Parts: sequence; C-alpha cells; structure tokens
Amino acid sequence: MALTEDDVRGIADYARIALEGDELAEMCAYMNDAVEMLEPILAYNLPDVDPTFHPIGGLSNVMRDDAPDAARAFTIDEALGNAASTRGRSFRVPSILGEEA
Amino acid sequence: MATLDTLTARQIAAGVRDGAFSATEVARAALDAIQARDAEVQAFLQVTPELALEAAARVDAARAAGEPLPPLAGVPLAVKDNMNLAGTRTTCASRMLEHYESPYTATCVARMLDAGCVPVGKANMDEFAFGSSTDSSAFHPTNNPWDTARVPGGSSGGSAAAVAAGEVALALGSDTGGSIRQPASFSGVVGMKPTYGAVSRYGVVAFGSSLDQVGPFGRTVEDVALAMDALVAGGRDPYDSTSQDVPPRFADAVDTDIAGMRVGVIPAFMDADGLTPEVRRAVEGAAHSLEAAGAELVEVELPHLDAAIAAYYVIGPAEAFSNLARFDGIRYGYREPDCATLAAQSSLSRAHGFGAEAKRRQMLGAYLLSSGVYDKYYYAAQKARTLITEDYARAFDRADVLLMPAAPRTAFKHGEISDPTQMYLSDMYTISLNIAGNGGITVPVGLGEESGLPVGAQLVAPAFADERLIAFGAALERACAGAWDAVRGAAAAGEGARFGAPVAPAFAGKGGELA
Amino acid sequence: MKELNEVLRDWEAVIGLEIHTELTTLETKMFCGCKLSHDDEPNTNVCPVCLGLPGALPVPNKRAIEYIVKAGLATNCEIQKHSMFYRKHYFYPDMAKNFQTTQGPVAFAMHGRLDLEVTGRGAAERPECAFGAAEAESLASASAGAVGLPASMARDLPEQGGALAGLSGYDTASLAVPERREDGSYTVPIRILRIHMEEDAAKMVHVGGDEGRIGGAAESLIDYNRCGTPLIELVTEPDLRTPEEARLFMEKLRRIFLALGISDCSMEKGSMRCDGNVSLRRRGDARLGTKTELKNLNSFKALHDGLAYEICRQAEVLEAGGEIYQETRHWEPSRKRTVVMRVKETADDYRFFPDPDLAPFDLTDEFIEHCRAELPELPDERRDRYVRELGIKRADAEQIAGDPEVAAFFEEAVGGLAGKEAQTVANLVVNELPAYLRGASVALAESALRPEQVAGLAKLLASDAISSNQGHEVFEAMAASGDDPERIVDARGMRQVSDAGALQPIVDEVLERCAEQAQQYRDGNQKVLGFLVGQCMKASRGSGNPKRFNELLRAALEA
Repeated sequence: MALTEDDVRGIADYARIALEGDELAEMCAYMNDAVEMLEPILAYNLPDVDPTFHPIGGLSNVMRDDAPDAARAFTIDEALGNAASTRGRSFRVPSILGEEA
Repeated sequence: MATLDTLTARQIAAGVRDGAFSATEVARAALDAIQARDAEVQAFLQVTPELALEAAARVDAARAAGEPLPPLAGVPLAVKDNMNLAGTRTTCASRMLEHYESPYTATCVARMLDAGCVPVGKANMDEFAFGSSTDSSAFHPTNNPWDTARVPGGSSGGSAAAVAAGEVALALGSDTGGSIRQPASFSGVVGMKPTYGAVSRYGVVAFGSSLDQVGPFGRTVEDVALAMDALVAGGRDPYDSTSQDVPPRFADAVDTDIAGMRVGVIPAFMDADGLTPEVRRAVEGAAHSLEAAGAELVEVELPHLDAAIAAYYVIGPAEAFSNLARFDGIRYGYREPDCATLAAQSSLSRAHGFGAEAKRRQMLGAYLLSSGVYDKYYYAAQKARTLITEDYARAFDRADVLLMPAAPRTAFKHGEISDPTQMYLSDMYTISLNIAGNGGITVPVGLGEESGLPVGAQLVAPAFADERLIAFGAALERACAGAWDAVRGAAAAGEGARFGAPVAPAFAGKGGELA
Repeated sequence: MKELNEVLRDWEAVIGLEIHTELTTLETKMFCGCKLSHDDEPNTNVCPVCLGLPGALPVPNKRAIEYIVKAGLATNCEIQKHSMFYRKHYFYPDMAKNFQTTQGPVAFAMHGRLDLEVTGRGAAERPECAFGAAEAESLASASAGAVGLPASMARDLPEQGGALAGLSGYDTASLAVPERREDGSYTVPIRILRIHMEEDAAKMVHVGGDEGRIGGAAESLIDYNRCGTPLIELVTEPDLRTPEEARLFMEKLRRIFLALGISDCSMEKGSMRCDGNVSLRRRGDARLGTKTELKNLNSFKALHDGLAYEICRQAEVLEAGGEIYQETRHWEPSRKRTVVMRVKETADDYRFFPDPDLAPFDLTDEFIEHCRAELPELPDERRDRYVRELGIKRADAEQIAGDPEVAAFFEEAVGGLAGKEAQTVANLVVNELPAYLRGASVALAESALRPEQVAGLAKLLASDAISSNQGHEVFEAMAASGDDPERIVDARGMRQVSDAGALQPIVDEVLERCAEQAQQYRDGNQKVLGFLVGQCMKASRGSGNPKRFNELLRAALEA
C-alpha cells in the first residue's frame, strides 16, 4: 500500500520537519521508493527466529555506581553556551500553545 | 629534509622520541601540508593550529623533562566532524550544528590525544554521516586526492582524503554501514571498523546506535594497528554501556605468519550484480596473493546476506530518527528565528537545519517505527540480523577470515549518482558487518585496471577477533607492495614506508617540509 | 450534583491509579552522575547526558535498579529478570532527547498486590451492595478488559507476546472478595499491574500567562535539573471502587516506600505524584464505561476529592443521557471541580523501540536476593509486631508503623515497657506528638524531644501520678524545653494526689457548700457530677486525682 501525501504530511508533523514547496511530493516519492526497497525484509518475519536488538550478544546488566561525577558537571555557561535563546539560568522557548490558546 | 608525508605514524613517533625532529616541527609541517593541499582536497571543515601546536608543545616539554613519551607522540591526527573535541566545533557537516562548540571531548578522541596524537583539524563528512560520497556535507564536497573530479567515498570521506593526500598520518572515522571501509577503498588507504563495542561511542554524534563504530584510517596496516591499540588501551569506557574490554595487542599482530590459515571467499559475492570487473579481478588477485603467502582459500556461504541492505535501511533510519529527534533548536543547534510557537520553531528549525538526506532518513525512520508498521519491518529486520549473525558464525567455523570487495566499484564522479536509493547500494559489501557487529578492514591492493583508481579489498573477522584483521591485512599489504611501484616511482623507493599505500601522486611532497 | 454515597449506590466506580515516585534518596540521576537536585538554581546539575547533547550516552544507576527491585518485592510483585529499556518518543522540551528512556512491555516488577484495610468513616463509601457475590463478578469483569499494558503502551508489540507469555500473571480466582466486618471495616486486595523504571522530565515555567498556566504564556523557561531523575511508575489494576480506597492505597504505598528509604515521598514537592483513571458503570453491568484520566491529584485530599467530584460529575452526565469522552481532566482544588485538559481522540503513537544504547537486563538470583536481604521491616509487619508483642491497639500500631521516623522514635521510647505503659507511649506518639510538631512547625528530627521523655511521661500517666490534661501540658513543656517530665511535674507542683485520706475533707467541704447540686444528683441528674468534680479539682488547686474525686463523690452521694 503506497504512502499518500497525507500520510507523509502526518509523519512530517509528528517528526517536526516542515515540508515546503515541492518537498512534500518529493518526500512522498522517496518514501515509496524506499519502502519498496525494504519489501524483501518482510519475508524475514519468521516465527522461529528471535530478534537481535543489541548486536554482539552476551552483554547485560551494565550499570554504574550511584556516585556523583563532578568531572562531567557543567557550569551554567557551559550548559547554556550553545543555546540560541536563554533567560537567566534557563533555556527559553516561545509560546507552547500560541495565540489561540 | 623529507616531507612529512613520506613518514608513517610509527616513524613520526619514533623520530620525535629519538629527537630526529620535534613534535612542534611535525605539527608545523602537517599544518603547512594542509595549507598547500586542502584548497584542492577540501578534506577539512576546520583546521586547528592552536590545538595542534599546544599538543605538540606538551609532547616536546615532556621529552625535554625526560618523561617517557606515549606511543603516538607527535603524530598529526584528523578527527571526523561528528566527534566532540573540546576547543573545536562539532558540526556533523550540517547547518544544524554549524556553530556548535563541543562542550566535551569524545572518549575515542581523548584516547588518541592521550596516546600523544596532535589534533590538526576536523574532517568533512556526509551530513550526520548519511551518505557514501561526502557530497551531502552542508559546507562543501571533498575531492578524491587520486582524481579531484571524484568523490572520496563516505561518509568519512574527509578523514580518508586527508590521509590519502598526505595531510595527516592518521584519522578517525565512524562506520555505520561502511563509512570507514568504503571511503578507504575509494581513496586508497587502510580503514578499519572494529567489532561493535571495541571502541567507545561516547561523544560521537549518533546515527545508528546499534550500528555505529569508530575506527582509524592510516596509510599502513601497522599505523592502523597502533591507533587501535591507543583506542582500546584504556579498557572499556564507563560512559558507554555497550563498550567492552579489548586487549591492546593489535601492533603485535602485524608480523603474524598467516601460513596454513584459512581465508574464506564467498562465490556469490564475486558474481554479484554491480561488481565491476576491475574490482573483481583486484580482489581475486588479493586472494591469490594471500594463497601465495601460505594461506588456504576456502569457499563459504552467507545465505542471508541478501537481507542485509533492507535490514540496514530499516534499523538505520529508525535509530537515526530517534537519535536526531533531539535537534530541535532549543538546547543547541540551528533555531529558526521569530517563531510565534514552539511547534513552528521546532518544525522550521529542523526543516532548515537539516539537509535533504538527513530529513529523508528521519522521515523514513519515523514511518518505520509507527504503530502497525514497526511490527512488520523493524521486527523482521532484527530477525534478519539474527540470521546474518548466525551466517557469519558458521562461515568462521570454516575460515579464519573472509575476503571480499569493500565496494563494488572505484570512486565515482561528483553528482554521478543522484538517486538516493541507488546510492544505498554502494554499501552492499560493508553493511552486513554493521548488522552483525563484527569487524572489517579495507586494505588497498592496487589501482583498477580500467579506472586507474585505487581498489581496496575487505577482510572480515569474527567478533572480537579484530587482531586477525591486522594480521591478514598486513600480510595482504606485503603481498601487494609491488602494485604501487609504478605510483611511487624510483624517487620514493627506499624512503618512507616499507609497505602500504602511497600518498596520492598529485599531492605527494606538496608542502609539509619537515624543517 | 448528587452526593457521592448516593451515586455509588447506583453506579460502580472503577478506579485505577498511576503513581510516579522519584527516587530522591539516591545520590545521582538515572543515566548520568549528576547530583539529584533539591532546591538548586536552574540548570545547576546538568551534564552532556541529561541535557541530551549530541554524542552523549546513558549508563544506568545500579542503586536505582536495586530500589525498584525492592519496591517490587515490598509490593508482592514478581521480579522480571529479563527486561529492556525502551525509547518513548514525543517532541516536548521537558525531555532533552525528545524521547524518554523507560521500560517496555516487561517491567522490572510485575503483578503485585497490596491489601488495604479500610476502616472508620471512609469505609462507608463502599455501599453494602459492593460486598459478597456481586462484587466477585464485578472484579472478574473489570479486570478482563484491563489486564495488559497501560494505554501509553497499548500497541501490540510483537516481542511482548513471547515475553509476556512467560509471566504467570494473576491468580484472579484467589482474589478475596471484601467482606464487611461488624465495625464497618473491610479488607480489599488491590492488584498492581507493573512497576517500571524511567527518567523524570525537566521543569518548565510558563511566563506571561495567567497564574503560570501554559495557555496564554508568552514563553516558557526550561530547567533540566530534574531531567533524568530516577522515577518509578506503579500502575494498579482498576480494582479500586471508592475515593477512600484510592487515598488509602496511596497512603499505604507511601508508607512502604518511606520504609524502604527509596524516596522522601513528598507529594507537596512532587516527588510522589498520582494520576487517576475512573469510569462508571451501572451496578450489575459487566461492561466498563469510558474512562477519564485525572491530573493534579497532588495531595491525599486532592486524590480523594478529585475522584469523588469526577465520579459525581460522570454520574450526572450519564443520568442526563449524556456521554463521557475519553479525556484528560485537571482537578482544580480551589474551585472543587475538574476541567478538560486534552481530548484523546486517537491513541498516542510514541514509536517505542528497545534502546540500543542500553544493554538488556538479565537480573541474577544473587542480585534479587541481595535486594531482598536489604528489605527493612515493612509497615504491615511492624504493625503486627506492635500488636502482638506490645499489645498496642491495631489502629495506633498501623499509624505509628507507617512512618519509619516515628516508628524508630516510638520503639526507643517504648523500650522495656509493656501493657498500659506501652499503650500510653503509643497514645502520646499518635496524639500529642503530631499536634506538638504541627503547632511548633518543627520536624521530629529537629525538635528537642527525646524518646526517654515520652517514656517518662507515659509512666507518670499510666500510674495516675498526673491527669491526662496535665499530661498534655507536660508534653508541650518538655518538648519545648528538653526537660525531664518528672522535673516539670515537680516544679509545677502537678503531682496528682490520689490518697483518699487527703481528698475526703475536700469532698466533704464541696458537698456541704454545693448542697443544691448534691440534691439534684440524688434526684437522678447524674450530669451534675461533673460540676462537683470540677469544684473538688478547683478546691485542690488541680492537684487531686479527678478519678478519685469522682469515686469519692459517688460513694458519698449514693451512700
């Protein structure tokens, strides 16, 4: 079943990627091509094969001690240094709900 | 005095240790070579003379104080620009991170610096490592030093090109589907992807968390072995849950005698659609030269490898979508100005901060993870992963290593492949290792008979048997030494590396005089 | 709107809770070594990991895993050895990575149970029809649709089929149907679906809007101090039937978590937070109604009152022929109502998948047994011991045992005492202690009060050396000054006179003076005795034992 432009618009809204101008049509064509390329994988939904979510099995229960790591703690300048908009000691974002809310 | 590009990393470190030249002289020579060559190669996004000279001065001060020097003291290093290094920007070749100042240093970079390396700059790449050409860098393409009309491969194309052009002796890259091994093949250098977990991923901007692995580029297998020792010498990284202990015994493996050991070849791979005759002949020649060195050739099968590309393009985009969700313009990265709402700010920042391929991969990933779709695709891909891993395990019952092409062809021209799904096929020989997790190395074996461009052969070892990559890689390098005679020419004979790939001829000796 | 009791006679309320608890007693966050923030300035405790910087990777806090295993053991859950962390994606800046690291279909702890003792007036909320055979059917039908994953994870992940198939699940047949006891109290089992591990979100401050609300705010400020704080989420089965049961469940869970020492459990500070799901159905109906989710139930009172309001609201809508929509509603305590926050038309698609950056867990028997060995005596066990060994009244024992700090104080005070003296210590700890602490606005640990003082005062009271009114005065005085109760009693001349020889002349004098009242008593007005005792107390300047006066007066009047 091919993805429609509406489907792709919905995914773009979810993924917070604005598609402008011809991008929607292009993205739609790409996604359908890509999904078609992935078709062979559907044959691998085999009932008697376990999935491998983590390559190189055998690793489990990896944990650290509950001890403070001062070496990685940021100063306030380091913490905010790459942010485009801050106020005081905080990161700043515009209105979450917008005018109509 | 010689130019720096005639020396291997081992020779540079030895020269610094012995006092033949200072680390500062080496750093100046490397910066000079970059100055002379990089306008044409464009391997670097950022050159860091201050960091380089500071690091070199520390090495020289340590030597003056009589302290023992670390194994790679004074060796110039290029770092792929998806690796954090405090004091540099880490841009991932994206507008999204154009002004991003690294607030910390990646473990892999820190370990190379601990081993004495001198960081000369950040290397170009495909944006966020999505690509096989380095053409998707938001800032500029990188040119293949062997033919500047062509791509160096990707995504670690800047790292590969910097080594191929003789700008540095060592570079770090990352490999999610072949991003070290394919550009190594295109650019005529050695490039190694160790087993997943061998090298810490902490501080390397993630693309596919279950696929990504860091590894080194060099012009000799021995240099790559020294870099691997540096990367694993600190043991497992407590900042990376998936990292594991690997003993630093790579350099020891360089002189291993491979006589009597078994090299597996996969007939189906050598007959695959898309494999060019010159690459096929070069890899067959490599197999025969290993046989001549005493190895036994055996045929093995990897029956589920046809699922690898599809599995990769399910798992990779899904993980990429998730990993790149954090780029919303709030804590860091490009922020669209003057947006009335948060939703508009996020969507436009991401729309304008990411390039086309980064957006395509995330969109595909968001689709593949969605309800109803995930079950069909992601789950099947992880089952295929199980089967592919089992295929490799069976193959290694019969062979110590496998030999195969690293890429189906030699370097293509800028813009030659425009269809993204076609581009994905250039990783056909490398992708399965990222799915299964075990390691591989690309070793240059000569120039293609038709293209005259470098061809690399790929060796593959079982998980956490990466020292075999060094052993067989070094053997292959010795066996192929003659293939480069014509390139090196009489002038270079006897100087520099005993073996290994030569610097691309157009750049050899250009700047970089070791004063 | 109808009253709750009236509504619950016609309608059955089916209530489930989702309770988030921050593991505030840990040193560091869930996936990085940042210190947990208490009252720090914004963005003080942040690092590459909890700010979600490119390249940062998570490493789980071992003690947090121990804590959730303990929480599971203490609530009778099965500890799941094999589980994984998942990524739950949603774009909101309180999650630095735009996904939350949480657990998948299999949580560390699953399928537990707590038995609630519902006593006192609150027990009356459950109507008589909700006991016995009808309730057995209700339990079975309410669970059938509910056992499984919370709505946020309702998607049928293929891997859960295999993983969940291995779980033994509940033995629903053995679930006891509550029976009402003579005093109106009853015990009801509440099943726990799961307790999973996750990370808390950042705090956001909405600026420029009305009262810090998000609507109308011009901008929002983000503080990542809390981001990454270890958080456990407990999800109950919808086994609760009254707001009082919900409140008691929350209280009981809080006491258990306090005993485990895994959190400060402050609802005020938000370290323990509760959301409620509630739906109504007609008594006897097997089908579940549409549920609403309630937020902002941030105190025991809010939990009770919010649910009570919502039950009454739904009943009113349904009785008027209206429809309940699946929506999230916000409890406004000041206006005593719930208002719509968000209508859920479709299930959210969080694009869950196993986090590749975190290795799976295969907890060993050794790990689990180590956690079990570290479990403290839990409130129920402690309560039973107080009743069994000290003869304390069950209700007092329950209250003392619930607070580890109070329990420790009590045990020190009661050391070596038994019988009446032990119960008197309990009375002081249950009644005088909280009253004093509240009045003085001081915490137990910071007050000057010592357990020996309470023991001393209990002895004075138990031996009738002072009256209970005097006891109250002595308690206040000794708590404030730190003096021994004996000294206070002596200094104030309080020691009570019980000797009949000393008291009889006073009784005689009062009866003579108040002949009129004495005659009233003899004529049958027994209430006047209190007046006469008061006169005796006054005449003795408060030093006489009122009980003895009472006895002597009766003896004289009834002779």
